[in-house]
Amino acid sequence: MAALLEVSGLTMRFGGVTALSGVDLAVGEGELVGLIGPNGAGKSTLFDCLTRRCAPQEGRVLLAGEDLARLPAHRVAGRGVARTFQNTALFPGLSVRENVMAGAHRHGRAGFWGAALGLAAGEERRLRETADALLARFGLGEYADHPPEALPYGTTKLVEIARALAAGPRLLLLDEPAGGLAPAEVPAFAGLIRRLHAELRLTIVVVEHHLDFVLSLCRRIVCLERGHKIADGPADAVRRDPAVVAACLGVTR
Amino acid sequence: MTGVRGAALTGHRRPAVGLAAGDRRRTWPWRRAALAMTVVAAAGLPFVLPPYRLFQVTLVLVYAVALLGLDLVVGHSGQISLGHGAFFGVGAYVAAVMIGRLGLPYPVTLPAAALVTYGLGWAAGLPALRLRGLYLAVVTFSVAVVLPPLLKRFPEVTGGAMGMPVATPRGAGLDDDQWIYFLVLATAAVAVAGIRNLTRSRGGRALTAIRQHPAAAEVLGMQAASHLTRAFAWSAMYAGVAGALHTWTTGFVAPDTFTLSLSITLLAGAVIGGLATPAGPLLGALVVTAVPAAARELNPAAPGLVSGLLIVAVVYAAPTGLAGLLRRAAAAVAARLPAGRRA
Ligand SMILES: Nc1ncnc2c1ncn2[C@@H]1O[C@H](COP(=O)(O)OP(=O)(O)O)[C@@H](O)[C@H]1O
Ligand SMILES: [Mg+2]
Repeated sequence: MAALLEVSGLTMRFGGVTALSGVDLAVGEGELVGLIGPNGAGKSTLFDCLTRRCAPQEGRVLLAGEDLARLPAHRVAGRGVARTFQNTALFPGLSVRENVMAGAHRHGRAGFWGAALGLAAGEERRLRETADALLARFGLGEYADHPPEALPYGTTKLVEIARALAAGPRLLLLDEPAGGLAPAEVPAFAGLIRRLHAELRLTIVVVEHHLDFVLSLCRRIVCLERGHKIADGPADAVRRDPAVVAACLGVTR
Repeated sequence: MTGVRGAALTGHRRPAVGLAAGDRRRTWPWRRAALAMTVVAAAGLPFVLPPYRLFQVTLVLVYAVALLGLDLVVGHSGQISLGHGAFFGVGAYVAAVMIGRLGLPYPVTLPAAALVTYGLGWAAGLPALRLRGLYLAVVTFSVAVVLPPLLKRFPEVTGGAMGMPVATPRGAGLDDDQWIYFLVLATAAVAVAGIRNLTRSRGGRALTAIRQHPAAAEVLGMQAASHLTRAFAWSAMYAGVAGALHTWTTGFVAPDTFTLSLSITLLAGAVIGGLATPAGPLLGALVVTAVPAAARELNPAAPGLVSGLLIVAVVYAAPTGLAGLLRRAAAAVAARLPAGRRA
Protein backbone atom coordinates (compact mmCIF):
# COMPACT_ATOMS: atom_id res chain seq x y z
CA MET A 1 0.00 0.00 0.00
CA ALA A 2 1.53 3.31 -1.07
CA ALA A 3 1.57 5.81 1.76
CA LEU A 4 -0.49 8.89 1.01
CA LEU A 5 0.52 10.57 4.22
CA GLU A 6 3.94 10.13 5.79
CA VAL A 7 4.69 11.90 9.05
CA SER A 8 8.13 11.49 10.52
CA GLY A 9 9.70 12.78 13.71
CA LEU A 10 7.05 15.46 14.16
CA THR A 11 7.64 17.70 17.19
CA MET A 12 5.46 20.67 18.00
CA ARG A 13 6.09 22.84 21.03
CA PHE A 14 3.96 25.75 22.26
CA GLY A 15 6.28 27.66 24.54
CA GLY A 16 6.99 25.17 27.30
CA VAL A 17 4.30 22.70 26.27
CA THR A 18 5.34 19.89 23.96
CA ALA A 19 2.15 18.97 22.17
CA LEU A 20 3.78 16.44 19.84
CA SER A 21 7.08 14.79 20.32
CA GLY A 22 8.73 12.78 17.58
CA VAL A 23 5.54 11.37 16.11
CA ASP A 24 5.84 8.99 13.13
CA LEU A 25 2.76 7.99 11.21
CA ALA A 26 2.13 6.55 7.78
CA VAL A 27 -1.36 6.36 6.34
CA GLY A 28 -1.94 4.42 3.15
CA GLU A 29 -4.20 5.48 0.34
CA GLY A 30 -7.76 4.46 1.18
CA GLU A 31 -7.17 3.67 4.84
CA LEU A 32 -9.61 4.59 7.59
CA VAL A 33 -7.57 5.22 10.73
CA GLY A 34 -8.84 6.03 14.21
CA LEU A 35 -6.79 8.41 16.34
CA ILE A 36 -7.42 8.20 20.07
CA GLY A 37 -5.87 9.51 23.23
CA PRO A 38 -6.81 11.44 26.36
CA ASN A 39 -7.53 15.15 26.34
CA GLY A 40 -4.47 17.20 25.54
CA ALA A 41 -2.65 14.25 23.93
CA GLY A 42 -1.94 16.28 20.79
CA LYS A 43 -4.55 14.86 18.41
CA SER A 44 -5.89 18.21 17.23
CA THR A 45 -2.36 19.60 17.08
CA LEU A 46 -1.43 16.76 14.73
CA PHE A 47 -4.28 17.82 12.44
CA ASP A 48 -3.11 21.42 12.72
CA CYS A 49 0.34 20.35 11.54
CA LEU A 50 -1.13 18.40 8.62
CA THR A 51 -3.06 21.50 7.46
CA ARG A 52 -0.22 23.98 8.06
CA ARG A 53 -2.06 25.74 10.83
CA CYS A 54 0.94 24.95 12.98
CA ALA A 55 4.54 24.95 11.85
CA PRO A 56 6.24 22.08 13.70
CA GLN A 57 9.75 22.70 15.02
CA GLU A 58 10.99 19.30 13.88
CA GLY A 59 9.95 16.56 11.53
CA ARG A 60 8.36 16.30 8.16
CA VAL A 61 4.92 15.84 6.69
CA LEU A 62 4.84 14.32 3.24
CA LEU A 63 1.63 14.16 1.29
CA ALA A 64 1.98 11.90 -1.74
CA GLY A 65 5.69 12.51 -1.45
CA GLU A 66 5.42 16.32 -1.31
CA ASP A 67 6.75 18.20 1.71
CA LEU A 68 3.83 20.22 3.06
CA ALA A 69 6.13 22.65 4.86
CA ARG A 70 6.93 24.13 1.45
CA LEU A 71 3.32 25.15 0.87
CA PRO A 72 1.53 28.22 2.15
CA ALA A 73 -1.43 27.15 4.29
CA HIS A 74 -4.11 28.06 1.75
CA ARG A 75 -2.52 25.75 -0.83
CA VAL A 76 -2.95 22.63 1.28
CA ALA A 77 -6.60 22.35 0.24
CA GLY A 78 -5.47 22.24 -3.37
CA ARG A 79 -3.38 19.17 -2.56
CA GLY A 80 -6.50 17.33 -1.44
CA VAL A 81 -6.51 17.74 2.35
CA ALA A 82 -9.76 18.70 4.08
CA ARG A 83 -10.67 18.70 7.74
CA THR A 84 -13.30 19.48 10.30
CA PHE A 85 -12.63 21.18 13.60
CA GLN A 86 -13.18 19.93 17.12
CA ASN A 87 -15.45 22.86 17.88
CA THR A 88 -17.60 23.41 14.82
CA ALA A 89 -16.19 26.03 12.54
CA LEU A 90 -19.15 26.87 10.32
CA PHE A 91 -19.52 30.45 9.15
CA PRO A 92 -22.56 31.85 10.98
CA GLY A 93 -23.13 34.61 8.42
CA LEU A 94 -23.61 32.12 5.58
CA SER A 95 -26.54 29.79 5.15
CA VAL A 96 -26.01 26.04 5.37
CA ARG A 97 -25.87 25.85 1.57
CA GLU A 98 -23.47 28.78 1.31
CA ASN A 99 -21.23 27.12 3.88
CA VAL A 100 -20.99 24.04 1.70
CA MET A 101 -20.47 26.23 -1.38
CA ALA A 102 -17.62 27.91 0.48
CA GLY A 103 -16.19 24.41 0.84
CA ALA A 104 -16.04 24.21 -2.94
CA HIS A 105 -14.16 27.52 -3.09
CA ARG A 106 -11.13 26.01 -4.80
CA HIS A 107 -13.26 24.62 -7.60
CA GLY A 108 -14.38 28.11 -8.60
CA ARG A 109 -12.49 30.71 -10.60
CA ALA A 110 -14.67 33.82 -10.45
CA GLY A 111 -12.90 36.95 -9.24
CA PHE A 112 -14.39 40.19 -7.97
CA TRP A 113 -14.74 41.81 -11.39
CA GLY A 114 -16.37 38.82 -13.02
CA ALA A 115 -18.79 38.39 -10.16
CA ALA A 116 -19.70 42.08 -9.91
CA LEU A 117 -20.36 42.24 -13.65
CA GLY A 118 -22.64 39.22 -13.34
CA LEU A 119 -20.40 36.90 -15.38
CA ALA A 120 -20.11 34.25 -12.67
CA ALA A 121 -23.68 32.98 -12.82
CA GLY A 122 -22.80 29.69 -14.54
CA GLU A 123 -20.10 28.86 -12.05
CA GLU A 124 -22.37 29.80 -9.15
CA ARG A 125 -24.98 27.41 -10.45
CA ARG A 126 -22.42 24.61 -10.61
CA LEU A 127 -21.20 25.22 -7.07
CA ARG A 128 -24.76 25.38 -5.85
CA GLU A 129 -25.60 22.05 -7.50
CA THR A 130 -22.53 20.46 -5.91
CA ALA A 131 -23.59 21.80 -2.52
CA ASP A 132 -27.20 20.69 -2.88
CA ALA A 133 -26.16 17.19 -3.93
CA LEU A 134 -23.94 16.87 -0.88
CA LEU A 135 -26.61 18.20 1.45
CA ALA A 136 -29.10 15.74 -0.02
CA ARG A 137 -26.64 12.93 0.58
CA PHE A 138 -26.53 13.87 4.26
CA GLY A 139 -30.29 14.28 4.41
CA LEU A 140 -29.87 17.97 5.15
CA GLY A 141 -31.55 19.36 2.04
CA GLU A 142 -34.34 21.01 3.93
CA TYR A 143 -31.90 23.08 5.99
CA ALA A 144 -30.08 24.50 2.96
CA ASP A 145 -31.36 28.04 3.47
CA HIS A 146 -31.14 28.06 7.25
CA PRO A 147 -28.43 29.85 9.18
CA PRO A 148 -26.19 27.29 10.92
CA GLU A 149 -27.12 28.67 14.35
CA ALA A 150 -30.58 27.28 13.80
CA LEU A 151 -29.27 23.71 13.84
CA PRO A 152 -28.48 21.50 16.82
CA TYR A 153 -24.79 20.86 17.49
CA GLY A 154 -24.73 17.33 16.08
CA THR A 155 -26.25 18.53 12.80
CA THR A 156 -23.73 21.34 12.42
CA LYS A 157 -21.03 18.65 12.60
CA LEU A 158 -22.65 16.94 9.62
CA VAL A 159 -22.78 20.21 7.70
CA GLU A 160 -19.11 20.71 8.41
CA ILE A 161 -18.32 17.28 6.98
CA ALA A 162 -20.36 18.13 3.90
CA ARG A 163 -18.39 21.37 3.57
CA ALA A 164 -15.09 19.50 3.85
CA LEU A 165 -16.24 17.03 1.18
CA ALA A 166 -17.21 19.89 -1.13
CA ALA A 167 -13.50 20.65 -1.40
CA GLY A 168 -13.08 17.24 -3.05
CA PRO A 169 -10.38 15.88 -0.73
CA ARG A 170 -8.24 12.73 -0.97
CA LEU A 171 -7.42 12.90 2.72
CA LEU A 172 -10.19 13.79 5.15
CA LEU A 173 -9.35 14.63 8.76
CA LEU A 174 -12.30 14.48 11.16
CA ASP A 175 -11.79 15.96 14.63
CA GLU A 176 -14.32 14.46 17.07
CA PRO A 177 -17.16 14.34 14.54
CA ALA A 178 -19.48 12.38 16.81
CA GLY A 179 -19.30 14.93 19.61
CA GLY A 180 -22.77 16.32 20.19
CA LEU A 181 -24.58 13.24 18.91
CA ALA A 182 -26.85 11.35 21.27
CA PRO A 183 -25.54 7.81 22.01
CA ALA A 184 -28.42 6.35 19.99
CA GLU A 185 -27.35 8.32 16.90
CA VAL A 186 -23.75 7.13 16.93
CA PRO A 187 -24.14 3.78 15.10
CA ALA A 188 -25.99 5.40 12.20
CA PHE A 189 -23.31 8.06 12.04
CA ALA A 190 -20.57 5.41 11.91
CA GLY A 191 -22.46 3.84 9.00
CA LEU A 192 -22.49 7.18 7.21
CA ILE A 193 -18.71 7.59 7.57
CA ARG A 194 -18.14 4.02 6.42
CA ARG A 195 -20.25 4.64 3.31
CA LEU A 196 -18.46 7.91 2.49
CA HIS A 197 -15.15 6.15 2.87
CA ALA A 198 -16.14 3.38 0.50
CA GLU A 199 -18.08 5.35 -2.10
CA LEU A 200 -15.76 8.34 -2.40
CA ARG A 201 -12.55 6.25 -2.07
CA LEU A 202 -11.35 8.57 0.66
CA THR A 203 -8.47 8.25 3.05
CA ILE A 204 -9.80 9.22 6.48
CA VAL A 205 -8.22 9.88 9.85
CA VAL A 206 -10.81 10.28 12.57
CA VAL A 207 -10.20 11.56 16.07
CA GLU A 208 -12.81 10.45 18.54
CA HIS A 209 -13.36 10.14 22.25
CA HIS A 210 -16.26 7.83 21.66
CA LEU A 211 -14.35 4.59 21.86
CA ASP A 212 -17.14 2.30 20.70
CA PHE A 213 -17.52 4.49 17.65
CA VAL A 214 -13.84 4.25 16.73
CA LEU A 215 -13.63 0.54 17.43
CA SER A 216 -16.67 -0.16 15.28
CA LEU A 217 -15.43 2.03 12.46
CA CYS A 218 -11.68 1.58 12.11
CA ARG A 219 -9.57 -1.48 11.60
CA ARG A 220 -6.44 0.41 12.52
CA ILE A 221 -6.06 2.59 15.58
CA VAL A 222 -3.33 4.98 16.63
CA CYS A 223 -3.08 6.18 20.21
CA LEU A 224 -1.34 9.35 21.35
CA GLU A 225 -0.52 10.24 24.92
CA ARG A 226 1.14 13.50 25.93
CA GLY A 227 2.50 13.97 22.45
CA HIS A 228 3.95 10.47 22.10
CA LYS A 229 2.57 7.73 19.91
CA ILE A 230 2.05 4.85 22.32
CA ALA A 231 0.25 2.41 20.07
CA ASP A 232 -0.45 1.84 16.39
CA GLY A 233 -2.04 -1.30 15.01
CA PRO A 234 -5.15 -3.39 14.50
CA ALA A 235 -8.10 -2.26 16.60
CA ASP A 236 -8.30 -5.47 18.63
CA ALA A 237 -4.64 -5.38 19.60
CA VAL A 238 -4.67 -1.70 20.48
CA ARG A 239 -7.75 -2.11 22.58
CA ARG A 240 -6.01 -4.70 24.74
CA ASP A 241 -2.68 -2.86 24.91
CA PRO A 242 -2.06 -2.15 28.61
CA ALA A 243 -0.52 1.26 27.90
CA VAL A 244 -3.61 2.27 25.92
CA VAL A 245 -5.93 0.94 28.57
CA ALA A 246 -4.10 2.95 31.20
CA ALA A 247 -4.06 6.11 29.10
CA CYS A 248 -7.55 6.13 27.59
CA LEU A 249 -9.95 3.43 28.41
CA GLY A 250 -10.17 3.97 32.12
CA VAL A 251 -10.98 7.63 31.59
CA THR A 252 -13.26 7.75 28.61
CA ARG A 253 -15.37 4.68 29.17
CA MET B 1 -28.53 8.16 7.70
CA THR B 2 -32.14 9.03 8.36
CA GLY B 3 -31.55 7.90 11.92
CA VAL B 4 -28.88 10.52 12.36
CA ARG B 5 -30.93 13.20 10.80
CA GLY B 6 -34.20 12.37 12.51
CA ALA B 7 -32.69 12.38 15.95
CA ALA B 8 -30.59 15.42 15.20
CA LEU B 9 -33.78 17.33 14.55
CA THR B 10 -34.50 17.53 18.23
CA GLY B 11 -33.43 20.83 19.68
CA HIS B 12 -34.05 22.76 16.47
CA ARG B 13 -34.03 26.47 17.20
CA ARG B 14 -34.07 29.71 15.25
CA PRO B 15 -32.41 32.93 16.38
CA ALA B 16 -34.46 36.11 15.99
CA VAL B 17 -34.14 37.95 12.70
CA GLY B 18 -32.01 41.09 12.72
CA LEU B 19 -29.64 40.02 15.49
CA ALA B 20 -26.76 38.75 13.38
CA ALA B 21 -24.93 40.66 10.67
CA GLY B 22 -25.18 38.93 7.32
CA ASP B 23 -28.39 37.05 8.16
CA ARG B 24 -29.94 36.63 4.71
CA ARG B 25 -33.38 35.42 5.66
CA ARG B 26 -36.17 37.21 3.89
CA THR B 27 -38.35 39.29 6.11
CA TRP B 28 -39.98 41.99 4.07
CA PRO B 29 -43.45 41.11 2.77
CA TRP B 30 -44.65 42.37 -0.65
CA ARG B 31 -41.13 42.54 -2.04
CA ARG B 32 -42.14 43.18 -5.65
CA ALA B 33 -44.66 45.86 -4.79
CA ALA B 34 -42.16 47.61 -2.53
CA LEU B 35 -39.52 47.52 -5.27
CA ALA B 36 -41.95 48.90 -7.88
CA MET B 37 -42.99 51.70 -5.54
CA THR B 38 -39.37 52.58 -4.86
CA VAL B 39 -38.66 52.86 -8.58
CA VAL B 40 -41.71 55.07 -9.16
CA ALA B 41 -40.87 57.26 -6.18
CA ALA B 42 -37.23 57.58 -7.25
CA ALA B 43 -38.24 58.59 -10.77
CA GLY B 44 -40.90 61.07 -9.61
CA LEU B 45 -38.96 62.70 -6.79
CA PRO B 46 -37.17 65.39 -8.86
CA PHE B 47 -40.50 66.66 -10.18
CA VAL B 48 -42.11 67.16 -6.76
CA LEU B 49 -39.25 68.20 -4.52
CA PRO B 50 -37.99 71.79 -4.36
CA PRO B 51 -34.39 72.11 -5.68
CA TYR B 52 -32.78 72.39 -2.26
CA ARG B 53 -34.43 69.18 -1.00
CA LEU B 54 -33.55 67.39 -4.23
CA PHE B 55 -29.95 68.47 -3.73
CA GLN B 56 -30.03 66.88 -0.27
CA VAL B 57 -31.50 63.65 -1.63
CA THR B 58 -28.79 63.55 -4.29
CA LEU B 59 -26.15 63.93 -1.59
CA VAL B 60 -27.70 61.06 0.34
CA LEU B 61 -27.30 58.88 -2.76
CA VAL B 62 -23.70 60.03 -3.19
CA TYR B 63 -22.86 59.01 0.38
CA ALA B 64 -24.77 55.76 -0.07
CA VAL B 65 -22.37 54.82 -2.89
CA ALA B 66 -19.39 55.57 -0.63
CA LEU B 67 -20.91 53.54 2.20
CA LEU B 68 -21.66 50.60 -0.10
CA GLY B 69 -17.94 50.44 -0.70
CA LEU B 70 -16.95 51.07 2.91
CA ASP B 71 -19.28 48.26 3.98
CA LEU B 72 -17.21 45.85 1.90
CA VAL B 73 -14.26 46.59 4.20
CA VAL B 74 -15.99 47.18 7.53
CA GLY B 75 -19.03 44.93 7.21
CA HIS B 76 -17.97 42.10 4.94
CA SER B 77 -14.22 41.96 5.62
CA GLY B 78 -14.39 43.02 9.27
CA GLN B 79 -11.54 45.54 8.89
CA ILE B 80 -11.43 49.22 9.82
CA SER B 81 -10.69 52.00 7.39
CA LEU B 82 -10.12 55.54 8.59
CA GLY B 83 -9.20 56.67 5.10
CA HIS B 84 -12.36 56.52 3.05
CA GLY B 85 -12.88 60.27 3.38
CA ALA B 86 -9.53 60.62 1.59
CA PHE B 87 -10.42 58.22 -1.24
CA PHE B 88 -13.68 60.15 -1.56
CA GLY B 89 -11.61 63.36 -1.75
CA VAL B 90 -9.24 61.93 -4.36
CA GLY B 91 -12.22 60.97 -6.54
CA ALA B 92 -13.68 64.45 -6.07
CA TYR B 93 -10.42 66.14 -7.07
CA VAL B 94 -9.81 63.86 -10.05
CA ALA B 95 -13.20 64.93 -11.39
CA ALA B 96 -12.62 68.60 -10.51
CA VAL B 97 -9.18 68.81 -12.13
CA MET B 98 -10.27 66.94 -15.27
CA ILE B 99 -13.30 69.17 -15.74
CA GLY B 100 -11.98 72.47 -14.38
CA ARG B 101 -8.33 72.43 -15.47
CA LEU B 102 -8.22 70.08 -18.44
CA GLY B 103 -11.64 70.91 -19.85
CA LEU B 104 -12.57 67.26 -20.32
CA PRO B 105 -16.21 66.21 -20.57
CA TYR B 106 -17.67 65.14 -17.23
CA PRO B 107 -18.63 61.52 -18.16
CA VAL B 108 -14.98 60.47 -18.48
CA THR B 109 -14.22 61.68 -14.96
CA LEU B 110 -16.19 58.83 -13.38
CA PRO B 111 -14.10 55.94 -14.77
CA ALA B 112 -10.96 58.00 -14.22
CA ALA B 113 -11.78 58.57 -10.54
CA ALA B 114 -12.63 54.88 -10.24
CA LEU B 115 -9.32 53.80 -11.76
CA VAL B 116 -7.18 56.15 -9.67
CA THR B 117 -8.80 55.22 -6.35
CA TYR B 118 -8.78 51.52 -7.22
CA GLY B 119 -5.01 51.78 -7.69
CA LEU B 120 -4.60 53.78 -4.48
CA GLY B 121 -6.70 51.19 -2.65
CA TRP B 122 -4.39 48.43 -3.82
CA ALA B 123 -1.34 50.41 -2.84
CA ALA B 124 -2.67 51.19 0.64
CA GLY B 125 -4.27 47.82 1.23
CA LEU B 126 -1.58 45.48 -0.02
CA PRO B 127 1.04 46.02 2.67
CA ALA B 128 -1.45 46.67 5.46
CA LEU B 129 -3.67 43.67 4.83
CA ARG B 130 -0.80 41.23 4.99
CA LEU B 131 -0.72 42.27 8.64
CA ARG B 132 -4.36 43.32 8.98
CA GLY B 133 -6.40 44.86 11.78
CA LEU B 134 -4.64 47.72 13.49
CA TYR B 135 -2.11 48.12 10.66
CA LEU B 136 -4.82 48.86 8.15
CA ALA B 137 -6.38 51.37 10.55
CA VAL B 138 -3.02 53.12 10.97
CA VAL B 139 -2.20 53.18 7.24
CA THR B 140 -5.64 54.52 6.30
CA PHE B 141 -5.48 57.04 9.13
CA SER B 142 -2.23 58.36 7.65
CA VAL B 143 -3.80 58.61 4.22
CA ALA B 144 -6.66 60.65 5.68
CA VAL B 145 -4.30 62.99 7.52
CA VAL B 146 -1.95 63.52 4.59
CA LEU B 147 -4.48 64.37 1.89
CA PRO B 148 -5.72 67.89 2.84
CA PRO B 149 -2.24 69.45 3.28
CA LEU B 150 -1.11 67.71 0.10
CA LEU B 151 -4.00 69.29 -1.80
CA LYS B 152 -3.05 72.70 -0.43
CA ARG B 153 0.56 72.32 -1.61
CA PHE B 154 -0.30 72.50 -5.30
CA PRO B 155 -2.63 75.49 -5.73
CA GLU B 156 -2.01 75.73 -9.53
CA VAL B 157 -3.68 72.35 -9.92
CA THR B 158 -6.05 72.05 -6.96
CA GLY B 159 -6.96 75.63 -6.21
CA GLY B 160 -5.13 75.45 -2.88
CA ALA B 161 -6.78 76.05 0.47
CA MET B 162 -9.61 78.04 -1.13
CA GLY B 163 -10.59 75.12 -3.34
CA MET B 164 -12.08 75.67 -6.77
CA PRO B 165 -15.46 75.84 -8.45
CA VAL B 166 -16.25 73.27 -11.14
CA ALA B 167 -18.86 73.39 -13.90
CA THR B 168 -21.64 70.93 -13.10
CA PRO B 169 -23.13 68.54 -15.70
CA ARG B 170 -26.01 69.82 -17.82
CA GLY B 171 -28.62 67.73 -19.55
CA ALA B 172 -31.07 68.76 -22.22
CA GLY B 173 -34.73 69.07 -21.26
CA LEU B 174 -34.17 68.91 -17.50
CA ASP B 175 -33.09 71.38 -14.85
CA ASP B 176 -29.48 70.91 -13.79
CA ASP B 177 -30.37 69.57 -10.35
CA GLN B 178 -32.82 67.09 -11.86
CA TRP B 179 -30.27 65.89 -14.40
CA ILE B 180 -27.59 65.47 -11.75
CA TYR B 181 -30.03 63.60 -9.55
CA PHE B 182 -30.69 61.10 -12.35
CA LEU B 183 -26.97 60.69 -13.09
CA VAL B 184 -26.30 59.95 -9.44
CA LEU B 185 -29.32 57.67 -9.18
CA ALA B 186 -28.20 55.64 -12.20
CA THR B 187 -24.65 55.34 -10.85
CA ALA B 188 -25.98 54.29 -7.45
CA ALA B 189 -28.18 51.63 -9.07
CA VAL B 190 -25.20 50.19 -10.93
CA ALA B 191 -23.15 50.36 -7.72
CA VAL B 192 -25.82 48.45 -5.79
CA ALA B 193 -26.05 45.77 -8.49
CA GLY B 194 -22.27 45.33 -8.52
CA ILE B 195 -22.00 44.92 -4.74
CA ARG B 196 -24.99 42.63 -4.66
CA ASN B 197 -23.48 40.34 -7.29
CA LEU B 198 -20.10 40.47 -5.63
CA THR B 199 -21.20 39.71 -2.09
CA ARG B 200 -23.32 36.79 -3.22
CA SER B 201 -20.51 35.22 -5.19
CA ARG B 202 -17.48 33.11 -4.38
CA GLY B 203 -15.49 36.20 -3.38
CA GLY B 204 -18.23 37.50 -1.09
CA ARG B 205 -18.52 34.14 0.65
CA ALA B 206 -14.76 34.12 1.08
CA LEU B 207 -14.86 37.55 2.77
CA THR B 208 -17.50 36.38 5.24
CA ALA B 209 -15.59 33.16 5.83
CA ILE B 210 -12.29 34.97 6.43
CA ARG B 211 -13.97 37.43 8.81
CA GLN B 212 -15.84 34.82 10.82
CA HIS B 213 -13.40 31.92 10.98
CA PRO B 214 -10.02 32.63 9.41
CA ALA B 215 -8.62 29.19 10.21
CA ALA B 216 -11.50 27.34 8.56
CA ALA B 217 -11.37 29.69 5.58
CA GLU B 218 -7.68 29.00 5.08
CA VAL B 219 -8.17 25.24 5.27
CA LEU B 220 -10.72 25.61 2.47
CA GLY B 221 -8.07 27.26 0.31
CA MET B 222 -9.02 30.91 0.75
CA GLN B 223 -6.08 33.27 0.78
CA ALA B 224 -7.02 35.99 3.24
CA ALA B 225 -4.58 38.70 2.18
CA SER B 226 -5.54 38.45 -1.47
CA HIS B 227 -9.29 38.62 -0.87
CA LEU B 228 -9.02 41.40 1.69
CA THR B 229 -6.79 43.48 -0.57
CA ARG B 230 -9.15 43.12 -3.50
CA ALA B 231 -12.10 44.05 -1.29
CA PHE B 232 -10.20 47.09 -0.04
CA ALA B 233 -9.34 48.23 -3.57
CA TRP B 234 -12.99 47.86 -4.61
CA SER B 235 -14.08 49.74 -1.58
CA ALA B 236 -11.68 52.60 -2.27
CA MET B 237 -12.93 52.67 -5.85
CA TYR B 238 -16.53 53.07 -4.66
CA ALA B 239 -15.47 55.95 -2.43
CA GLY B 240 -13.66 57.52 -5.38
CA VAL B 241 -16.70 57.23 -7.62
CA ALA B 242 -18.82 58.78 -4.88
CA GLY B 243 -16.29 61.62 -4.64
CA ALA B 244 -16.58 62.32 -8.37
CA LEU B 245 -20.37 62.35 -8.03
CA HIS B 246 -19.95 64.77 -5.12
CA THR B 247 -18.06 67.16 -7.39
CA TRP B 248 -20.78 66.89 -10.04
CA THR B 249 -23.42 67.58 -7.41
CA THR B 250 -21.85 70.46 -5.50
CA GLY B 251 -19.79 72.02 -8.28
CA PHE B 252 -17.05 72.81 -5.81
CA VAL B 253 -14.05 71.15 -4.16
CA ALA B 254 -12.04 72.32 -1.15
CA PRO B 255 -9.42 70.41 0.85
CA ASP B 256 -11.17 70.85 4.19
CA THR B 257 -14.21 68.93 2.96
CA PHE B 258 -12.13 65.74 2.90
CA THR B 259 -10.52 65.64 6.30
CA LEU B 260 -10.20 62.82 8.83
CA SER B 261 -13.54 64.01 10.16
CA LEU B 262 -15.25 62.91 6.92
CA SER B 263 -13.62 59.48 7.23
CA ILE B 264 -14.94 59.13 10.75
CA THR B 265 -18.40 60.32 9.77
CA LEU B 266 -18.46 57.74 6.97
CA LEU B 267 -17.38 55.02 9.39
CA ALA B 268 -20.15 56.13 11.75
CA GLY B 269 -22.63 55.96 8.87
CA ALA B 270 -21.58 52.42 7.99
CA VAL B 271 -21.88 51.20 11.58
CA ILE B 272 -25.10 53.07 12.40
CA GLY B 273 -26.80 52.09 9.13
CA GLY B 274 -25.97 48.44 9.69
CA LEU B 275 -23.01 46.34 8.56
CA ALA B 276 -23.12 43.69 5.82
CA THR B 277 -26.78 44.21 5.12
CA PRO B 278 -28.38 45.60 1.95
CA ALA B 279 -30.27 48.52 3.51
CA GLY B 280 -27.35 49.59 5.71
CA PRO B 281 -25.56 51.95 3.30
CA LEU B 282 -28.70 53.91 2.41
CA LEU B 283 -29.75 54.28 6.04
CA GLY B 284 -26.18 55.17 6.94
CA ALA B 285 -26.12 57.82 4.21
CA LEU B 286 -29.18 59.46 5.77
CA VAL B 287 -27.25 59.60 9.02
CA VAL B 288 -24.12 60.98 7.32
CA THR B 289 -26.16 63.73 5.65
CA ALA B 290 -28.50 64.60 8.51
CA VAL B 291 -26.42 64.26 11.67
CA PRO B 292 -23.63 66.74 10.95
CA ALA B 293 -26.15 69.34 9.75
CA ALA B 294 -28.36 68.88 12.81
CA ALA B 295 -25.41 68.81 15.19
CA ARG B 296 -23.94 71.99 13.74
CA GLU B 297 -27.08 73.84 14.82
CA LEU B 298 -26.13 73.02 18.42
CA ASN B 299 -22.48 73.87 18.13
CA PRO B 300 -20.01 74.08 15.21
CA ALA B 301 -17.76 71.52 16.93
CA ALA B 302 -20.56 69.09 17.72
CA PRO B 303 -20.68 66.84 14.57
CA GLY B 304 -17.64 64.74 15.46
CA LEU B 305 -18.79 64.34 19.05
CA VAL B 306 -22.34 63.43 18.04
CA SER B 307 -21.09 60.89 15.45
CA GLY B 308 -18.89 59.31 18.07
CA LEU B 309 -21.65 59.11 20.67
CA LEU B 310 -24.03 57.65 18.09
CA ILE B 311 -21.53 54.90 17.24
CA VAL B 312 -21.24 53.99 20.92
CA ALA B 313 -24.99 54.03 21.40
CA VAL B 314 -25.62 51.84 18.35
CA VAL B 315 -22.90 49.34 19.20
CA TYR B 316 -24.46 48.88 22.63
CA ALA B 317 -28.15 49.08 21.86
CA ALA B 318 -28.46 47.75 18.29
CA PRO B 319 -25.30 46.05 17.06
CA THR B 320 -26.85 45.36 13.67
CA GLY B 321 -27.64 49.04 13.20
CA LEU B 322 -30.74 50.72 11.87
CA ALA B 323 -31.07 48.03 9.19
CA GLY B 324 -31.20 45.35 11.90
CA LEU B 325 -33.90 47.28 13.77
CA LEU B 326 -35.92 47.62 10.56
CA ARG B 327 -35.56 43.93 9.82
CA ARG B 328 -36.80 43.02 13.27
CA ALA B 329 -39.79 45.33 12.79
CA ALA B 330 -40.48 43.86 9.33
CA ALA B 331 -40.22 40.32 10.70
CA ALA B 332 -42.70 41.21 13.43
CA VAL B 333 -45.12 42.61 10.84
CA ALA B 334 -44.65 39.65 8.50
CA ALA B 335 -45.29 37.20 11.33
CA ARG B 336 -48.77 38.69 11.73
CA LEU B 337 -49.63 38.35 8.04
CA PRO B 338 -51.43 35.37 6.55
CA ALA B 339 -48.83 33.13 4.89
CA GLY B 340 -50.17 33.58 1.34
CA ARG B 341 -49.53 37.31 1.31
CA ARG B 342 -45.77 37.13 1.73
CA ALA B 343 -45.01 37.68 -1.93
N1 LIG C 1 -2.34 27.08 19.88
C1 LIG C 1 -1.87 26.54 21.02
N2 LIG C 1 -1.15 27.29 21.88
C2 LIG C 1 -0.67 26.77 23.02
N3 LIG C 1 -0.84 25.50 23.41
C3 LIG C 1 -1.56 24.70 22.60
C4 LIG C 1 -2.11 25.18 21.37
N4 LIG C 1 -2.78 24.16 20.77
C5 LIG C 1 -2.65 23.10 21.59
N5 LIG C 1 -1.92 23.41 22.69
C6 LIG C 1 -1.54 22.50 23.76
O1 LIG C 1 -1.06 21.34 23.18
C7 LIG C 1 -1.51 20.21 23.88
C8 LIG C 1 -2.26 19.26 22.95
O2 LIG C 1 -3.51 19.83 22.63
P1 LIG C 1 -4.52 19.21 21.58
O3 LIG C 1 -3.79 18.88 20.35
O4 LIG C 1 -5.67 20.14 21.44
O5 LIG C 1 -4.98 17.88 22.32
P2 LIG C 1 -6.16 16.89 21.94
O6 LIG C 1 -6.80 17.33 20.67
O7 LIG C 1 -5.52 15.56 21.85
O8 LIG C 1 -7.12 16.95 23.09
C9 LIG C 1 -2.36 20.71 25.03
O9 LIG C 1 -1.54 20.75 26.18
C10 LIG C 1 -2.73 22.08 24.60
O10 LIG C 1 -2.90 22.91 25.71
MG1 LIG D 1 -8.64 17.91 20.30
